[in-house]
Amino acid sequence: MRTNMILLVEDNPDDEALTLRALQKNNIINEVVVARDGVEALDFLFGTGVYAGRDLSLMPEVILLDINLPKINGLEVLEKIRANERTRLLPVVILTTSNEEQDKIKSYTLGANSFIRKPVDFQQFSEAIRQLGVYWLVLNQGPPLVKG
Amino acid sequence: MGPESQGFASQSRHHYWKIALVALGVACAVAAGLYQLAHMYVLNEAERNIQAVLLAHKGMHRYIQEVMHPTFYKLKAEGLVAEKFYAPEILSSSFIVRNQHKAYNEERKAAGLEEVYYKMAALNPRNPVNKADAAEEKLIRMFNENKELKNYREVVQIDGKDYLHVAMPFLVNQQKCMKCHGDREDSPPGLQLLYPGEGGFNEKVGDIRAVESIRAPMEHQYFFLYILFASSFAGLLVLAGLLFLNTRLRDMVRVRTQALAQEVVERRRAEEEVRKANEILEDRVEERTAQIAAANKELDSFAYSVSHDLRAPLRGIDGFSLALLEDYGEALDGTAKDYLGRIRAGCVRMGDLIDDMLQLSRVSRGTIHREAVNLSAMAGEIAADLQRATPERRVVFEIAPEITVFGDVVLLRAVLDNLLGNAWKFTAKTEGARITFGRQEEGGKEVLFVRDNGAGFDMAYAGKMFTAFQRLHTPQEFEGTGIGLATVQRIIHRHGGSIRADGDVGQGATFYFSV
Repeated sequence: MRTNMILLVEDNPDDEALTLRALQKNNIINEVVVARDGVEALDFLFGTGVYAGRDLSLMPEVILLDINLPKINGLEVLEKIRANERTRLLPVVILTTSNEEQDKIKSYTLGANSFIRKPVDFQQFSEAIRQLGVYWLVLNQGPPLVKG
Repeated sequence: MGPESQGFASQSRHHYWKIALVALGVACAVAAGLYQLAHMYVLNEAERNIQAVLLAHKGMHRYIQEVMHPTFYKLKAEGLVAEKFYAPEILSSSFIVRNQHKAYNEERKAAGLEEVYYKMAALNPRNPVNKADAAEEKLIRMFNENKELKNYREVVQIDGKDYLHVAMPFLVNQQKCMKCHGDREDSPPGLQLLYPGEGGFNEKVGDIRAVESIRAPMEHQYFFLYILFASSFAGLLVLAGLLFLNTRLRDMVRVRTQALAQEVVERRRAEEEVRKANEILEDRVEERTAQIAAANKELDSFAYSVSHDLRAPLRGIDGFSLALLEDYGEALDGTAKDYLGRIRAGCVRMGDLIDDMLQLSRVSRGTIHREAVNLSAMAGEIAADLQRATPERRVVFEIAPEITVFGDVVLLRAVLDNLLGNAWKFTAKTEGARITFGRQEEGGKEVLFVRDNGAGFDMAYAGKMFTAFQRLHTPQEFEGTGIGLATVQRIIHRHGGSIRADGDVGQGATFYFSV
């Protein structure tokens, strides 16, 4: 079943709060699931660990994925998402502080749909989040659902 | 030279002494032999010369005795000559030969030759001039005692000069001689009349009556001897010299060969050392390279961490400051709002600093990928970007066409971004702003430049501009982190080029650079 859920993978509580505030400020009222590290994100997507038994037919409309994460980093999470039949087509937006060329190359190589750098200026950040929401949640036609 | 070859040299000196001794011995032996041979030859030669004289005398004697005497006696017998007639000038062979020899000596003297002493020396001569001297008397006795002896020769010295003295028995008294040399009473009356004394008479048959004593100078023969000696000695000298030279050369060759062999050994050793040193160096280079690689890797992760971990809190500070302003704005007075604004400005500035620092560290790392880069086109794009970002500004860009260099396109973009960005920034307060990108020749080399007519700078600080975080203006005048030109210089240096700045306060600035 298609939902308008957003999966936010973010370990920094400040960034989490700011992202949620930016979404709220831009009137994006979709449900936001927050995973605070790579393991939690994968548990949610694959219905394992703390999310064991979750209804896997409910998949996020877009995944906002930070790279620098504890345990399993964002790029590994992306690799696993793309390797799994059920999640391989999900739109993944890398939302990171990094401006490293290597990170961009790796992200796109692993199949990221977009690479957004978080600006320091909150107004710019807020604007980026707004555009993200408009694009991925309104304009973009997501992939067909994969039957589980 | 090493100690070994010095030892060898002294050994060869010893060798030379031996050779010199042997050569001297051989030379002496050869000289002695030669002297004997030459002496004999000289004596024989001198004797032969004397013999020639004596043989001529003998011929004379024979002619007188064998032709003239019979003729005289025949004429006498026929009564054509008086019984009492006797004239030694035409009858005495010894008289005739003596005077013939006298004439011969006169001829020799006229021809510039030394006289040859000649005497028919007798113990009891008819004519006193023929009287033997002491030496000749001894010789006559010697010949008489030993009839087998036919010849006597001796080298005598007279007035310091050598002469060969030769003596030989003239004749042995025979019966027919007694006619004139026997008893005085039995001799021809003419003879008796002529020679009143006992001289020439009372000879005995079988006795040697006289000896022919002759003495000739040996100067000519000695001259020959000198020449022979000198030439043989010179020859020997040359030979000895050649021998010595040959030995010397051989020794030199041997010494040189040994030295060369030594040198080869030393060179090999040196080469081996160099090879070992190289190996050590290579190992060290490898080690250092690994260390540098590790350090670079650390720097990379450090830069990565800076990029993430320093920026995240900034975003928090800025975000929550804004949240305060937005959510609690009415509870804050103007001062509090101003403070929050300053906090936010500080965050943005620190964010820019971090970004520029990262760029500076990034241009120092990684490899340069050189390719042909059209800088004119690149400058055009940047100018357009700048104009687009601030459309209200009026700036004239002059970009020389077709400036192409060989370098890393990403890094060169950073150079032009910084230089043109600076020019754009510092002409912000200038009327009729003009920015030029061009090229010129300097000492046969192409130099590129970016020139503006903006704020300029004091040349006293021209060297400081390229140091990181060194700024010539306050942020209030012109914003900036002070890292841009440091980055530019680092990129230019990494391309093997150089950069310098020229300008004056209020007169604009020009940055010259080569790639």
